Amino acid sequence: MISRKLQVVIAVLVVAILAMGFYLVHLKRKAEAIGGNPATQALTAPVDGPAASMTLYLASDDDNTLRPTTVDSPLPTDPGERGRLALHTLLGRYLLKGSAHPIGAGSDVHDVYLLDNTSAVVNLNAACADAHRSGIEVEQLTVFSLVLTLKAQLPQLTRVRFLVDGKTRETLAGHIDILGWMDVATVAQAASTLN
Amino acid sequence: MPKERLIYVRVTMLLLLLAAVVSAAEPRRISVYAPQTSYQIDILVHEGVDYVGITDLLEPLGRLESRVDGKKLTLIFNGYASEFQDGKRQYRTSANPKLELVSNFLLMDGRGYVSVASIVPLLPRITNQNAEFHAASRRLFIGATPLRYSAELRHSPSRLVLTFPVPVNPSNVIEKTRVRLFFKREPVVSSGADNVAYNDPFLVSTSFSELPSGVEFIANITQPATVSIGEGGRTVTITAVTPPPPAAPPAQTTAQQPSSAQSGPTGTQSHPAAAVRSRPFVILDAAHGGVETGEVLSPTLQEKAVNLAIARRLQKELEARGIPVVLTRIADNLLTWDQRAISANTSHASLYVALHASASGHGVRVYTSMLSAPPAGQTARSFLPWELAQSPYLAQSTVAASALVAESTFDGVPVHTSAAPIRPLNSVTIAAVAVEIAPLGASPDELASPEYQQKIATTLAAGIAALRSKLEVPQ
Repeated sequence: MISRKLQVVIAVLVVAILAMGFYLVHLKRKAEAIGGNPATQALTAPVDGPAASMTLYLASDDDNTLRPTTVDSPLPTDPGERGRLALHTLLGRYLLKGSAHPIGAGSDVHDVYLLDNTSAVVNLNAACADAHRSGIEVEQLTVFSLVLTLKAQLPQLTRVRFLVDGKTRETLAGHIDILGWMDVATVAQAASTLN
Repeated sequence: MPKERLIYVRVTMLLLLLAAVVSAAEPRRISVYAPQTSYQIDILVHEGVDYVGITDLLEPLGRLESRVDGKKLTLIFNGYASEFQDGKRQYRTSANPKLELVSNFLLMDGRGYVSVASIVPLLPRITNQNAEFHAASRRLFIGATPLRYSAELRHSPSRLVLTFPVPVNPSNVIEKTRVRLFFKREPVVSSGADNVAYNDPFLVSTSFSELPSGVEFIANITQPATVSIGEGGRTVTITAVTPPPPAAPPAQTTAQQPSSAQSGPTGTQSHPAAAVRSRPFVILDAAHGGVETGEVLSPTLQEKAVNLAIARRLQKELEARGIPVVLTRIADNLLTWDQRAISANTSHASLYVALHASASGHGVRVYTSMLSAPPAGQTARSFLPWELAQSPYLAQSTVAASALVAESTFDGVPVHTSAAPIRPLNSVTIAAVAVEIAPLGASPDELASPEYQQKIATTLAAGIAALRSKLEVPQ
């Protein structure tokens, strides 16, 4: 025969377990509503610079467009770090649940190196290329949005080159050539012809 | 049983027994190909499972120390330790204390053994390099060592060109209806489908198979051929030997009309109306092929197959309009970008069209190269780097793209043009466009639909036909 005291303790524990279960489900739904799986999102780097406007060129697969969007964010003073943060923020937007241009989980930019004021080398992580969807249009949108977002931060930029995990790569995901330097003005002109 | 027959049976059994003994005596080995070296290791069969010595496997790959302590073997490879225990599947490395082999680890006479099935998951943990095991040929590839070749069928004369990234030296046997290439030591692997049907007047099909003694490539042909090795061993060419034409009677003076049936890279049959032409108008390039599948459109549909199907339909549509066509590939074979550009540049065609398919977006997109306009004074005769060769032809390509869209009657199919950095457009020295075809609806399976493919082919053919007068140079 179980004592009444023990019965009460067991009942309280069962209620507590059920309550915690419901709370866990609630937290999971809340996290999903805020924005996708946190494991697939790029982490935001701590920044100590003054707050400023940052222009992101957001791609949309639905209508094949690049739309400039302004985001207020503290920006580092170092130009390379500022460029990296802009691209990191851009890729973070693409990783959000319901993004109009979804990219592979874990995509991020390692570094942006400025050779001088006019030439930048963007070092993407492997996930950004390996997990990217294949196709001319989808790859074009990603590359163009990266180049134009970087140009918005670094107005003197005239050419951009991409590396993946520090190494050159022929294409982003089988179609768009990222081996050589890209002329920023030509990219801007080509982007203007998108729908 | 008659006495003679009994003797035959006994002799046959004796020979079979002898063959079994010989094959059993010959040690089974695994050939290991690593970036720094290649070597062989013996296989030990224990309770029906194939094992290899772990130190035999790792020693040639780096600095290795091993220590046996009772039933425990500790390996230190390039400074990183891993620990195995006799009779246990569990093992540990510096980075991960809980790992498992496929079969139990063996420790016999102070030597450690891992099952062959465990090698592929184990090696990256220890050497930090990926491993790929080909069971049929018992070859283990560590890192990016497998050699994938591209196969290109060309004509005038008919020949199959196999291109390898590094020099090779296969032995070859030429028979009446097939050419057999055998690669004993080279780490050659398939570049896609093992059996490729060409259905060409010279080349019927090719097959690739891995055997315990090496790799065999067979080209099934319809006429005698020769094999030559070129470019320092990087290309192997199987060329048709054309029998000399019979001597014409001295009285006959009628000139022979040149045949257009085998012009260009693939020598595809041309329409009778174009029989007097000696060069094609358009070269169609079904993108991807072989091991390079392109986009995986659905679990059962790959981009390379859709590209080829649309290219074939477009070829038929163009030929029906009397427009001579060649294709860069007519089978599921791998071609490099440079090979595609060279095919276009040597085809004497006026227009190059690369065909792609995509599950993203809707309708048809026509792309031109994203090169800048050539500087003043630069012409098609100027000496240019390979990756800028399209530059003087950019205006023609833009005209082609615009006209292709304007003239095509894309009935209900959304279409737009843009510039994009796509291989091999920059290296093509004629008007060049890439066309990407997406479904109209949400399902990528629409790309496999014969009706949709035909609709796209018909409308593209109408656009290309309208371009002819704008691009074609009079002969």
